[in-house]
Amino acid sequence: MRKGTRLRLALRDLGSGFAFASMAVSGQLPIWSLVLYGVALVVALAGRRPFSNRVKLTALLLLAVALTLGTNVLAGSLNLVVAACAFAGLISAQRLLSTPDATTDGQVHLSGLLMVAGGAALSGELVYGLFLIVFGVLASIALALGVVESAVPEGEPVPVRAVMGPLATGVGFAVVGAVAFFVLFPRLNWNMIGPSASPGLGVATAGFSNTVRLGGAGTIKGNPRIVLRATLSPDPEKDALDAYWLGRTYDVFDGQEWSSARTTSDGAGFMTTLRPGRENLVHQRVELMPAYGARTLVAMETPSRLGNAVTNTRQGSRRTQIEERGGGEVRFRDAGISYSYEAYSLPPGASGDDVQDLPPEEQDALLALPEGLDVRVAQTAARVLNGERDPLAAARKLSAWLQREYSYTLELSGDVPDPVADFLFQRKQGHCEHFATALTLMLRTQGMRARLATGFFGGERVTGGYVVRAGDAHAWTHVLVPGRGFITVDATPPAHRASQSPRLLEQLINFYEVVESQWRDVVLDYNFRDQLTVLRSLSRSHEVPKKDEPPGRAPPPRAFGAALLAAAAAYAAWRLLTRFLSRERPLEATRFADAVEAQLTSARITRGEGETLEALDARLARERHPLAPALAPVTRRYLEARFGGRPLLQGEATRLLADLRRAVLTQTQRGAREGTRPPQARAS
Amino acid sequence: MNQPARALSPVPSLANARSAMERIATQLGRAVQGKSAQLQLVVTSLVAGGHVLLEDVPGVGKTTLAEALAKACGLSFARVQFTADLMPADVLGAQVFHAQTATFQFRPGPLFRQLVLADELNRAPPRTQSALLEAMAQGQVSLDGATHVLPAPFTVVATQNPVDFSGTYPLPDSQLDRFMVRMSLGHPTPEVEAGLLVTRDGTPPLDAVESVSGPEELASLRAFAAALRLDASVADYVVRLATATRSHGDLERGASTRAVLALGAAARANALWEARDFATPGDVRAVLVPCWAHRILLRSAVQGVSARDEAAHLLEEIARKVPAPR
Repeated sequence: MRKGTRLRLALRDLGSGFAFASMAVSGQLPIWSLVLYGVALVVALAGRRPFSNRVKLTALLLLAVALTLGTNVLAGSLNLVVAACAFAGLISAQRLLSTPDATTDGQVHLSGLLMVAGGAALSGELVYGLFLIVFGVLASIALALGVVESAVPEGEPVPVRAVMGPLATGVGFAVVGAVAFFVLFPRLNWNMIGPSASPGLGVATAGFSNTVRLGGAGTIKGNPRIVLRATLSPDPEKDALDAYWLGRTYDVFDGQEWSSARTTSDGAGFMTTLRPGRENLVHQRVELMPAYGARTLVAMETPSRLGNAVTNTRQGSRRTQIEERGGGEVRFRDAGISYSYEAYSLPPGASGDDVQDLPPEEQDALLALPEGLDVRVAQTAARVLNGERDPLAAARKLSAWLQREYSYTLELSGDVPDPVADFLFQRKQGHCEHFATALTLMLRTQGMRARLATGFFGGERVTGGYVVRAGDAHAWTHVLVPGRGFITVDATPPAHRASQSPRLLEQLINFYEVVESQWRDVVLDYNFRDQLTVLRSLSRSHEVPKKDEPPGRAPPPRAFGAALLAAAAAYAAWRLLTRFLSRERPLEATRFADAVEAQLTSARITRGEGETLEALDARLARERHPLAPALAPVTRRYLEARFGGRPLLQGEATRLLADLRRAVLTQTQRGAREGTRPPQARAS
Repeated sequence: MNQPARALSPVPSLANARSAMERIATQLGRAVQGKSAQLQLVVTSLVAGGHVLLEDVPGVGKTTLAEALAKACGLSFARVQFTADLMPADVLGAQVFHAQTATFQFRPGPLFRQLVLADELNRAPPRTQSALLEAMAQGQVSLDGATHVLPAPFTVVATQNPVDFSGTYPLPDSQLDRFMVRMSLGHPTPEVEAGLLVTRDGTPPLDAVESVSGPEELASLRAFAAALRLDASVADYVVRLATATRSHGDLERGASTRAVLALGAAARANALWEARDFATPGDVRAVLVPCWAHRILLRSAVQGVSARDEAAHLLEEIARKVPAPR
C-alpha cells in the first residue's frame, strides 16, 4: 500500500473515531457498543481489515446488532435515538474493517456525519464541539488526499508533503468561514424565547433523597464538580463563604436512617414572583447546574422566600411551579437539565420559624429517639453537658466535645447494626452525617429539640458570584431555641466541612466549568437575539447621548464611518488574502538551486546579475574552475528536476548538497594552503 | 579512407543523438577550422529543421561550409549562384516541350536537392527570391498547377554579403523570418590562418570530409529533437522574451510567432549537445541571438553589419532584463 494511502486511511479512521466519540461523550450509548467500536477502531488503525473477505457474513452481524437494539427499544430499556446512534456507530465500525475502496470510504464518511448528527442529538457539550471540529478537519483532509491520490497515476508516490500545506490552509479557512457563518448568518430557531441547556459533564452526582442513611463509603466529598452558582446581594465580597446552604431537614431517625415525619406533598404547586424584599434579607440568584442532579432548591440559612423559578430544558427555559415537600424541602415540579431561581434568606442569627408554627406531630418528632438506642449515648451526653440546660449552650458544648474527641474520615466500615453507637464508642471517627446525627440524638436524649439538616457548606468566589461543589455537600444540626427558632450548630470539625477534593483537580474543574459556561453562552445558547445584539453593539455608540439634541432619523455619522472602516478592512483583508494565495511558491528544485547557490556564495564564487545556476555552471566549466567538476552533476540534476520532469528523490537534494559542501571544503582548504605557501617558498 | 556505410537506423537514444551531431560537427571542422561554435550552431539548426543564412564577407569559407555539410551528412547538393538575371525557372525547374511525345515534361531545377546553397541570395530579383523562399517554407514547389515535392530533408544554406549592397535586392523581413538562424563565420584566428597556409598543400579542404550520416539519420534526429520536452516555464520564458521585444522602444517590430516557434525548436536541438532530453533556459539563451537577430526590425536606420550588431546587442539586453525561470 502506498504511503499516502495509509495516511489517508488512518486519518479517515481517526475522523470516524472522533465522530463516534462525539456521541460517546453523552454517556448514553450502551457499553457494549463502545467496546465493539473501540476494538474495531484499534484493529482498523493497525491496518487490518478482517471483514474484507466476509462481506455478507459481517452484514449479517449488523443485522443481529440491529435486532438486539430494536428489541431493547421495544422493551423500553433503550431510547430510540440512542439506539439509532449506536447502530450508526456499528455500521461505521463494520465499514472500517471492510476493504478500503472508494465506496467504503464514502460510507465511512457518511456514517461519520450520521454519528456527528447523533452526537448533536445526544449532547451539546463542549467536548462534542471539539470532537466535531476534529472530525471535520480529519475527514476533510482524508477526502482531499483521496482526490489527490486518484489523480496520481498508479505506482507513483502520492505527494503528501506537497499537498498537506495547501490542504491545511484550506481547512483552516473553512473552519474560520464556518465560525463566521455561525456568528453572522441569521438563525431562526425555536429557542428564541430563551437559553436552552445541556446536561454538562456526564451524570449528576449529588442529590437529595427522602432519607439520609448512615453507612456506605464516602466518596461524595471528593467530587469537585460545580452544582450550584449563586450571585448574592449584598455581595459579601469574601473569597470563601462560611455559609450553610440548606436543602432540607430530617426529624425522624430509626437507628439507621433519617426521614421526615411529614413526607407527603400537599400536592399544591405554586409559582411565586419575588419582588425586592426587605433590606436586611440576603438576596440570592441561584442556578442549579446539570451536575446537581436533583430538583431541590437550596438557599442560604435561613431561607425566607423562594421564587422566580425557571426550568431550563433542551427546548428552552420556562417559568415553572415549585412545591413544598416534607422536611421543608422545596423542589421543582418538572424535571429539567438545570434550574434557576431567586431566594431571600434571613441574615445569620435572625429568628426563623417558631416552634409554635409546627404541627404537634412534628414537634414530637423533634424529641423522638430510635428504638433500641444505646443507653451509653444518653449517659455520655449527660456527662458532657454536666447540667447545662440551655439548648444552644448545650449544643455548642456537645459539638465542641465531638470535634475534640472524634476525628473525621471518609472511610467507613459499611453497614453496621447501630451506626451511632459504632461511631461514638467503637471507631470514634466518621463523616459529617455521623457527627450531625450524634449531636442531634445526644441533644434529644437530654430533652432538647433538634433535627438534622442537609445541604451544602461553603461557597467559592468565581467571577463575581459563588460556586458550590458536589463535594461541599454537608450535614449539620438544627437546635430549636425557644423564642429564636432553629439555630445551626455544626458538630463536624471545621476543616472537614467543605469540599475535600485535591486542589489541582479543583482548579482544573474550575477551568473546565468556565470554558463550558462560555461554550453554553456563546455557542449553544447563541441565537438570533444574540446575533442582533452583536450587530447592534457594532453600530451603537457607548457614549451617553446629549439630552437636548433631538433624536435624528438618519444614522449618525459614526455609523457611516464604521461602515467605511469595515469596508476598508474587508478590502484590505481580501487584497492580502489574494496576494497571499497568488504569491509564487518556490518549487522544490528552485529551493535546491537556492541552496546550491548559497553554498557557492560561501565558496566566494560571485555570480553575475541575473546569472542562473545553469549559466554559472557553464561559465565555471569554461574557466576551468576547480569546483566545476563537482558542480556539474548538481546543476545537471537541478535542471532535470526543474525542467526535465524528473523530480528530486527523497533525500537526494541533501546528498547532492553534502557532496558539493565537501568539494567546497576541500577547495577552500586547498586555497588556504596555497595562500600560505608562497611565504614558505620565500623563506626557503 | 572511407568508413564503412553506417547503419542508418533511427536515433534511439540521447547519447546516439549527441554522438551523431558531434560526428557531423567534427567533419565540418575538418573543412572549416577554428569555428567550432559556429559549426555547432549550423548542426543545431540542421537538426532543428531550419534553414541557415550566412552573412559574411567573401572568402571566409561559406561555400566550403555548405558543401562540407552536404558531404558529411550524405545529402545531395546543389549550388545556385543568385544573380540579377536569375529567373525562378532557373531555380525551380521548368516545363519543357518534348517534340517526340508532343507533351510538356517537368525538368527539375537545382532546387531539387537535399541541401541547396543559395549563394549571394540578395543579388537575385525579388521574384526569384520569393520563389526560393516559398519552396523553403513548404518543402514543395507548385508549378503550372502541379505540385512537386522537394527531397527531404530539404535544407537551404543561403549567403549574403553584409557590406556590399550595390545592385542588391535586400531580403524583405517576412522572408528573413524563414531562416531559422542567421550567423557569420568571420575571419579565422591568425593561428588558424597560418596553419592553413602551412598545411594546405593543394588538396581541396572538402577531401578531408567524410560522410558520416545520411538523410534517414537526419530525419530521425529531427524527429527526436522535435519531441524533446520543453517545460511550461521555459515556454513561458520564450514567450516573455518575445513580448519584451514587441514592447521594446528601440524596436520597430518584435519577434513573430514563427520566431517563437523557431526559438523553441532551436533550443530543443541545442539540448542534444548536452545529451539532455529537455530544453532549459540556457538552451534558449544560447540560440536566442542567432535565431532572432535577423527577425527584429530596428527603429534606427542603420544597415548591414552595424544593424546586425545593434540587434544582437538589443537582444542581449532584453535577455538580461527578462528573468529566466529558476
